[in-house]
This record gives sequence, structure tokens and C-alpha cells, in this order.
Amino acid sequence: MRSPKKFVFCLAATLIAVFSLAHDFPPEALPPKPLVLPAPALRVLPNGLKVVAIERHSLPLMTMRLVVKSGAESDPAMLPGTAQLVSALLTEGTSTRSASQISQAIDSIGGLVDAGADWDQSYISLSVLNDHEELAFDLLSDMVMHSSFVPAEVERKRQQTLSGLEVVRDDPDYVADAALRRLAFLGTAYSHPEDGTIASVRRMTSEDLRAFYNNYYQPSNAVLAIVGDIKTSEAFERAEKRFGAWTNRTTPLVPAPSPAVGPHRILAIDKPDAVQTEIRIGNLGVPRNSPDYLALRVADQILGGPSENRLFKALRSHQGLTYEASSELLSYQTAGVWLAKTFTRTPETVKSVHLALEQIKRMHDHPISAEELATAQGYLIGHLALDFETSEGVASQTLELLVYNLPLDYWNRFPENIRALTAEEVWNAARQRLAPENNIIVLVGDLSGFEKDLKKLGPVQFIPLAEVDFGSQELVPSVGRAPERR
Amino acid sequence: MSRIFSPARTARTVVFAAALFLLSGICEAVTLPQTTIRALTLPNGLQACLVEDHQAPVVNVQVWYHVGSKNEVPGRTGFAHLFEHLMFDGTTNIGAEQFSDYVIRSGGIDNAYTTEDSTVFWETTPSSQLPVVLWLEADRMRNLDITEAVFDNERQVVEEERRLRFDNPPYGTVVESLYQHAYTVHPYQHMTIGSMHDLDNAKLEDIREFYDTYYVPNNATLVIVGDLDPQEAESMIGKYFGHLERAARLPINHVQQEPPQTAKRVVKLALNVALPAFVEGYHMPADGTPDAYPLRLASNILSEGESSRIYRRLVYDKQIALEAQSTGNFTEDPNLFFVFAVMNQGHTPAEGEAEVEAELTRLKTQTVGDDELQKAKNQILRDFILSRQTVQTRGDELGYAAVILKDANLVNTELARFLAATPADIQRVAQKYFVAENMTLVEVYTKSAAGDKQASEPKAGGR
Repeated sequence: MRSPKKFVFCLAATLIAVFSLAHDFPPEALPPKPLVLPAPALRVLPNGLKVVAIERHSLPLMTMRLVVKSGAESDPAMLPGTAQLVSALLTEGTSTRSASQISQAIDSIGGLVDAGADWDQSYISLSVLNDHEELAFDLLSDMVMHSSFVPAEVERKRQQTLSGLEVVRDDPDYVADAALRRLAFLGTAYSHPEDGTIASVRRMTSEDLRAFYNNYYQPSNAVLAIVGDIKTSEAFERAEKRFGAWTNRTTPLVPAPSPAVGPHRILAIDKPDAVQTEIRIGNLGVPRNSPDYLALRVADQILGGPSENRLFKALRSHQGLTYEASSELLSYQTAGVWLAKTFTRTPETVKSVHLALEQIKRMHDHPISAEELATAQGYLIGHLALDFETSEGVASQTLELLVYNLPLDYWNRFPENIRALTAEEVWNAARQRLAPENNIIVLVGDLSGFEKDLKKLGPVQFIPLAEVDFGSQELVPSVGRAPERR
Repeated sequence: MSRIFSPARTARTVVFAAALFLLSGICEAVTLPQTTIRALTLPNGLQACLVEDHQAPVVNVQVWYHVGSKNEVPGRTGFAHLFEHLMFDGTTNIGAEQFSDYVIRSGGIDNAYTTEDSTVFWETTPSSQLPVVLWLEADRMRNLDITEAVFDNERQVVEEERRLRFDNPPYGTVVESLYQHAYTVHPYQHMTIGSMHDLDNAKLEDIREFYDTYYVPNNATLVIVGDLDPQEAESMIGKYFGHLERAARLPINHVQQEPPQTAKRVVKLALNVALPAFVEGYHMPADGTPDAYPLRLASNILSEGESSRIYRRLVYDKQIALEAQSTGNFTEDPNLFFVFAVMNQGHTPAEGEAEVEAELTRLKTQTVGDDELQKAKNQILRDFILSRQTVQTRGDELGYAAVILKDANLVNTELARFLAATPADIQRVAQKYFVAENMTLVEVYTKSAAGDKQASEPKAGGR
């Protein structure tokens, strides 16, 4: 037993130790400032074109972005890549301007043009300094309304696209994304590579491109955002003048809703010269306008959102297996997938897959802690200020609402809606999507380095990289079953 | 930028500045507002630059340490960047994963990067978080606490980063090969990521010395841009950074300057890629020197936009290349001006090189028209304006001007240097730098197409 004297000595020693090890803590934050989101003005032209104007007078700059509410999901079944090739040709000639005239006009005034097609949308944007509004409206409306698809330009873009597709076939990151998409979205309109396949791009004719353009590039299927140093009244006037004569031709086809993610399977694509393995795990997700979307956003933030999320901590901070581990919701008009992704050095492939699956199972099996919930909510709410910092940010946040038919006050109500979610609701939303019998695993790497261990995960389908056909539903050319072994 | 030659180094975006500027043929003026910079130096040597910007309730904080991969000695390559990672791994006050957690839960984002010349840590957060972020940065400037286990873990993470950026993607090693051969003594010869061999051999005991040499207030510059009250911000800087001890002496720079190149160097690589390619690197002067400005304009004339000369010739008219670009990697010491192209199927690097040569010859023998030069200047003005859109890009430019160009006010004055360039300046720098004996060429052949005669493995190092 200790004498009282000794006890006092011990106490003193403890106090000294505590004092010398005293940790300093970060100070309190300042009181948060209220975030006032800019209110976009909306006008619908008689032809159905929705025009959104947002004034930002801090810099002498104006950005216009026209979005057609149809993208790669509207590609004809045999012609993946149509939406992208059509959008790439917008800058390459109109009925009155050649490709060279367009690029010369834009470059001379220091303009910046960008056109492309994604899922659920095709877009073209043009940024100019603020004394070139007249030319900008003229050029953008001309490119959108009078695209000419000149055969020589079609051939040029076709060759460029084909060369690009040849290059990315050797990029394991691209191959893994495309293969996961193929399998996870099987049976939906979102399953093919959005930039097409070598076969489909070869097959496409000018008529195919023109048909897509006629079907979907119509004012009733489009939204125009005008942001920057221009008065709202002037923006609307100029939009009416330049886009008022744009007419609707037909009613665009809308793809039918379709559930995604089939039964569990594991696919390994062999790339013998790889030093890392790309890993993708696809789970069920939700369409963008699902009532569960916000709860899943919070769950996704916890599982694999920016910075130190669960996947990142398990795979990088604790084990040094990777540089990056993350998850994201691929949420579209009619389908959704919840994707987890990482990569690791070849010998650690199976261990990394295990650790990632463990985190997904943990999300499925165990409730979310109050602290994790608060951190995720804090991020999503606080980050709005950064999302709305630039003209482009304001435009894209607003266009997202119009593309997915969400209410225009969505972002104003976002903080309260996120804050209202309970840990229980978030967990429930996540649990429903993370059934292990539904996930799809895709690996791209040097099989010889991990093949034996991989079989412990269950039946695995192997395909050599050279035999992968992104145009086929099963990723192999024949309709029959893929070989179990190389 | 190319998605194929993913940059080990990317040319920084053009800096912004205030000026009155008349666009060609149009009499309306596009004016940029003046950036007011508050500069201060603490008694411990820490420099700080503050800019108020209330466009959005956000703030960007950056700490620039004037140490990069050019401060590394042979056998210790990759050390500056490895150290950047360790700065997130805990201090005597906060645990290994807590730094970013503090930033994230407010809605902010944070990260860091290392270049040849500097290591930069940054956070962009709601402006209410400013005291928290300043405390966190001050804390890790002097209280880092790294265990052997954490060090070993971080080394493995960095090796994965090397595999990700260099060893695994197609064309990933091309730029590394170019620098290995273009430089013989200057440390720009090696990539910031370092070699796998040196990363394997990095030791924890080297850490303390590196930290005490470079991570000290008198080797650091603090940049804050955004929704702040200057007086309040200044007092926070004093409160959190003021007590940090300065180093007794500043690090001595041992960098050996590169002797002029006297003969063209050619490297041939056979890679597992679908299309042949080539990169040419011409030695050019450091950023901020008089020739840097016409060189950057020349780069725009050659390849900015679809009406530019190299794009026009190789991609559009002749259709021999998938993409073709030029870009200067402007840094604190003299670096390289690149021209590169990825050839289409059936076309050789030699064909592309001949077409590039024709364009460079044209630049040397014929003066650029006023319209074409004006086009390049308009593009630069546009980039100045675009870089002002976010507190983060404003912070990037301010830190770069203060630390690398050694004059923060260049964010206001540098545009004038671009606008002063004449057609004769463009011609002069083209004649001076775009010559064969100043060039290193890397040709990439596809492994299946490369005959044994055509391609050979790169020789290690340039010495």
C-alpha cells in the first residue's frame, strides 16, 4: 500500500507530466457568415428555350453555357459515341461559317470555347471579355442552330476520336472505369462508353449524326445560362434576338427508367505490363431525383468523400496501400450506381479489395456515429460557399437543377434538408444499396501477380486486355460465355 | 493540356495584373481592378501577403516553403515531396488524421503540392475558419511529430503516387526521360517525385534535419486571400506565428547551374503504347527574365486555340497528329520549352518533327503579324482575368510572385511586360532558343512497331 506521502509525490509527478505534455488546441472559428446564394432569373422563350441569367460584375467577363438535356444515354444502341461526336462537331462549321472562321473568330478575341457530351446532357460553352457580347451570342446561336456536319470535318473528327480511343485502350484507369460501367449499368441506357468504341465510331455516318442533332438539339429540350458582367434584361434581350428563331422539330425521345447493377460478379482484365492494379467496386445507387439521394450523399461522404474518409483511412492512412481511395454516386436521370475506386501495387491487389469490401460491409452492418454524421453534414453544407464562388459554379449548380427537373430553390433549402437527416435515415438509405450479393468488382492489372489469391474471393472471369470489346455487353466479342481461363 | 503527357510539371497559369488594355480594333476598354496587397514581415522572418476579396464568404490560406526538388542532392531525390506528405501526419498537438478533419468538417478543402522550387500547403474554407486554419498551419510549421511507422506508411503512399503518375500510365515516363537527358548537373534533371530507389532508401533520421533547415518562419511566406478583415487577420498572424523561432541561418543553396548545351541529344524509347509520339525540349531562361515574356507569347502563337500554327499544321491540315502542343515550363532557374505531338496511326515521329521544324523556322525567318501577336496578347489577358475568379487561384498567383519572382506586386505589373512585346522580340527569342544544338529530343515508338534498330532503351541518367 502506498503511504500518503508517496501518494502526494505521485500526484505531483503526474501533474508535472500532464503539464509538460499539455496539448494545445485549435481556436474556435469566427461566427459563420450567412451564405446568400445568387437568385438566378429565369425566362422561358416562346419556343420553349429556358434562359437563366445571373449577374456577376466583379470581373469583365461573360460566360454562356447552352445545355441540351440529352447526352450519351441517348446514343443509338449500335452507335455509342454519337452524342460526343455531334458535340465535337458544333465548333467545326455552320451553314455560313467554316471551322477555320469559327476558331479564328474565337481565338482573336481571347475567347474560350468548350463543347462535349456527358450523361443526360450535351453542352457548349463560350467565355468572352465583356466587350464581345454581340459576337458571342451570334457565334453560340449559330453553332447550336446551324451545325453543318461537313463531310471533311466529320472525317477529321472521326480520325481524331479513333486515335484517342486507341491511346486510352492502354490506360488502366480508363479501362477499369469503362468495364465497371458496362457491367454495373447493364440493361440501362448508361452502360456503353460515352466516347464510343472503335467499331461504332467507324460505323457512324453523317446522317446518323444529323439525326441525333435533329432529334435532340431543339429549344424545348435545351437550357441556356448566361452569367457574368451583363445585365439580366440585356441577357434576355440578346437571347431572344439570337435564339428566338430556333424551332422545334419533333418531340425528343426520353429513355425509360431502368434499375442498375446486376448480380454479384468479379471481372479481372489482364494487363501484364501493369505495376498497379486499378480496382472498382460498383453497388446499387439511385437516380438523381430520388427521395433518398440526399441521405446517400451523406453516406457517400462518409464512405469515400473528399479527404480523410473511411476508404481513404483504411487503405491509405493506415496501410499505405494506395495514393487515393474514394467513392462517388453516379446518379443520372433514370439509373444510378454507387462506385468505390482505388488502386494499389500489384502484390497488394487482393488485400486492398478485401479492405475496401470491409468498409462497404461496415457501412452496411453498423450504424453511423453522431460524429461522422456531423462531419459529413458540416462538409456538405459549408462547401456550398465554394461551389457558388465563380460564375461557372453558379451556372453549373443552376443547370443541374434544370436538367434533373429539381425545384429552383433546391440549393437554398439544401442546408436545412441535409441538417434534418438523422444517422438512422442515412444508414438505412446506405444499407438498402450495399447488399454484398449485388456488387460488381472490376480489376485491371498484371494477373500473374495476384491471380491465385483472387480466386479466394469467388468465381472470377478473366479477359486479356487485347480481347476486351467495350461494344459488347459482356465485354468479349462473342455472344457466348467468356473463357474462365486465359 | 494534354491528357496523354500528364504533367510532371505544368506551366503555371499566366499571372494577373492591373492595366488598361485596348483590344484590337475595338475602342471599348477592358480594365482590371488593382489588387491591393498588404505585406508584412514578422520579427522571426515570416513574410505574409494579404488581399481582401469579398466576392464570396470564403478564404484561401497558403504557406509557401522555399524548398523544392532542386534543393535535393543525388541519392535523396523525392525528399521534398515526401516531406510534404509528412506534414499531414500529426504534431505534438493533433493526431495523424486530424489536420484535414478540421478543414473538412467546415466544408473546406485542403491539400499541398511540391514543385522543383517550392512546397505549398493550402486550405480554402468558409471565411469563419480563418483562425482555425492559421493555428493549424503554425502548429505544423514547428511541432511536427512523426513516428517510424507513420514515416514508413507515407513512403509507401508516395511510391504508389509515383506508380500512378509515371510507371503505370501510357507515356508516363517520357517527360522523366527528357529531363534526364536535357540536364547534366542541375537538379532539374530529376523529377520532383524522385526515383523509386531513393524513396526506398529514405530514412526517418534525415527528417529532423530537413525540417529544421527548411520548415522555419524565415523560409516561409504566408498568403491569405479572401473575405477577411485585414487588421483582424494581421493580429491572428502575430498571435499564431509570432512565437515560432526563426532558424539561426537560412539554408545555403548548393544548386549547380547547367552549362550551355552544345549538341542535339536524341533518345528513343519503345513503350507499350498505341501511337508513336515525340517531345522536344529547348533550354530557355528562368521565369521573370525579359525573354520569358516573348517566349510565352510564342507558345500561344504556336499552339493556343484551334487557329494556332502547330495545331493548324499537324492536327487540322495535315492530320498526322492526334494532338500537338508547345508550352514553356517556366521556373525559378532556367528550364525547358516543350514541343510535343502524339502521331496518328501510320505516321512517324520524324514526319511530325519536320512539320514542327517548318513552323519554328517560320517563326525565326518571318516576323509575326500584328493581328496574330494581338491574338496571343488577348488570350493572355483572358487568362489573367480567369485566374482572378477564385480566392485559390488568386492565392496561387500571389504566392508565386512573392516567392519565386520575389516581387508580390508583379500581380499588378507583370501584364505590362507581355503587352510590351513586339514582333521583333518574338523573332529574336525564336532565333536564340529554337536551335538544334539547344534541343533534346525524345522519340516514342510503339513496342509492336519498333524494330530493334529503331528503338533502344533509355540510358540511365545523363552523366
